[in-house]
Amino acid sequence: MPTDTTPTGSQTPGRGGLYARLSVAQKRTVWAWGFLAVPILFYVVIRFYPTGNAMVLSFQEWNLLGDRTWAGLDNYRTLVADPVFWQVFRNTFAYLLLGTPISLVISFVIAYHLDQVRFLHGTIRALYFLPFMTSAVAMAWVWRWFYQDVPIGLFNNMLASVGIPQISFLRSTTNALPAILAPAIWAGLGFQIIIFMAGLRAIPRSFYEAAKIDGVSSWTVLWEITLPLLRPTIVFIVVLSSIGFLRIFDHVFNMTSADPGGPLNSTKPLVLMIYQTAFSSYDMGYAAAQTVVLFVILLVVSLIQLRLLRDR
Amino acid sequence: MSQLILRDLVKRYGTTQVLHSINLTVEQGEFVVLVGPSGCGKSTTLRMIAGLEEISGGTIEIGGRVVNNLEPKDRNIAMVFQNYAIYPHMTVRRNIGFGLKTAKLSKAEKNARIDEVAAILGMTEYLERKPAQLSGGQRQRVAIGRAMVRDPAVFLFDEPLSNLDAQLRTQMRLEIKKLHTRVGRMMIFVTHDQVEAMTLADRIVIMKDGHIQQIGTPAQVYHEPANTFVAQFIGAPQMNLLKAEGTGTGVRLWNGVEIAVPGIQIAPGRPVSFGIRPEDLKSDASAVLSGTVTVAEPLGAETLVYVDVDGVEVTATAPGRTPPRAGDRIGLGLSGDNAHLFDSASGQSLRTARA
Repeated sequence: MPTDTTPTGSQTPGRGGLYARLSVAQKRTVWAWGFLAVPILFYVVIRFYPTGNAMVLSFQEWNLLGDRTWAGLDNYRTLVADPVFWQVFRNTFAYLLLGTPISLVISFVIAYHLDQVRFLHGTIRALYFLPFMTSAVAMAWVWRWFYQDVPIGLFNNMLASVGIPQISFLRSTTNALPAILAPAIWAGLGFQIIIFMAGLRAIPRSFYEAAKIDGVSSWTVLWEITLPLLRPTIVFIVVLSSIGFLRIFDHVFNMTSADPGGPLNSTKPLVLMIYQTAFSSYDMGYAAAQTVVLFVILLVVSLIQLRLLRDR
Repeated sequence: MSQLILRDLVKRYGTTQVLHSINLTVEQGEFVVLVGPSGCGKSTTLRMIAGLEEISGGTIEIGGRVVNNLEPKDRNIAMVFQNYAIYPHMTVRRNIGFGLKTAKLSKAEKNARIDEVAAILGMTEYLERKPAQLSGGQRQRVAIGRAMVRDPAVFLFDEPLSNLDAQLRTQMRLEIKKLHTRVGRMMIFVTHDQVEAMTLADRIVIMKDGHIQQIGTPAQVYHEPANTFVAQFIGAPQMNLLKAEGTGTGVRLWNGVEIAVPGIQIAPGRPVSFGIRPEDLKSDASAVLSGTVTVAEPLGAETLVYVDVDGVEVTATAPGRTPPRAGDRIGLGLSGDNAHLFDSASGQSLRTARA
């Protein structure tokens, strides 16, 4: 282990201690590993060990109290045969495939225009960033109120005042998922806008000025200069927001707390299913198997995105 | 006849006026360099000609047409930027061709144009490369190529050489000059480097604090500087400016030495600045002035010496082969013919034309 070589620094060169006899490069290595040892130890204990343990657990039966008994591939067989799992699987990808592109486009459009605004720039930026800093639980409950029926809900009151029949948002199996996705997208926008604006700022002004002198349209500038040069920013945001949407939990849980993931599992994402399997059914082995599936999905999606969007 | 005329050009940012009534006429095919210290308004002037900055007052006329309210693309100009502004994600061909995006030419014609420009610049073999695979000088050529491909009436250069190392800068300077001879178009070049200005320009415009100080050929601004600013800005090492007063037929320097200056009458007792370039102030036995060498800088052909003459440090030249050393006491010879005289208060030259 690297901790064995952590330098003491107490030996003086004249005594010819082990440390003193090392070359400068070796001493540097000793220090580097000395510092790295702390986070490595932390990651091994806090991250890698539980991850490995969960993978082992996915092949076992365990109810938290009794013994862990070997179950082989039973958990995975149950999973494949479970219609709820496939519903949840579809939901998870619906969050991903709707959430990532929508949030990407909205945050880019806002960042692009905000970048050109000088008046109250800081204030407007802060307003967009505010949802990101707000607790997801509080936000979910406020949105839940927005979605209520007449005469409580904000949206339905607005619809009613212009004579449109009210819409059942959270109690409809078709509307509930988009209704939960909306605040989730909104909450993440501030962060994505900040990242996009940093990316936009990094493009030299003379690139735009040269294009202006060449007289190309602003559409061409957007597609041929701005977006290609934002590629690293876009990759970063796509990967990060994809992981975020694949792991969506708190918005769903708080907006459907009477029947988490409902109605009829229509909003239930994988993380919520794992939570219920583990802490409502106490079926730890089955939950671990689901976790492994989620891990594989996250890994595969991220790798595909990185490969597709890599700089060619 | 294609001319560029700036009439009473003014630029204000809010209440701060940065350009004060700039008047300049550039003839067809002329190479004009705008030079001055940073913040003098030279880049602003160029950007106003390009259409990248609003004009607060006055007019800009290109080829007999007032262009104040025209978009940059309609002004028949092209610009080369200090950081080249070439797009890192496009090949050299696409970068050069970007200027032709809006041109009404067929694809084949556009490609022929790009090939032609690339050939002139010696970039043919690099056309399919990305900018990251090019050296600084080659990137600079791509930027110039993008300007050339549009065949504009006016080329604008905004300090295009300042990102290059010294050797490459000298080389590109020469190439730009050759290019000018070849394409014969009007070129306006902004720099803060007086050597670039002297070597490139047909005419130099020297600016300071938003005012034009002098417009003239390199020889004119060097030999007949209009004021002390121009006198000290142009030429390296700087011209010596010494306190003096008129004697009728010449001047009496601060230390009492009298020097006859032919062809000019200065009222006795009138305070003036006596300017003499280091190359006109030579270590010499005739010893009009004498002093102690504080620093000697051997340059090979000659040696620059900084000499303490009665408490004032002057820069002079000494022979390259037998240079004086620091601490030596030497005599300095000069001729009144080479002197520049300026009014002490205004700094304006007292000699408007020299024989």
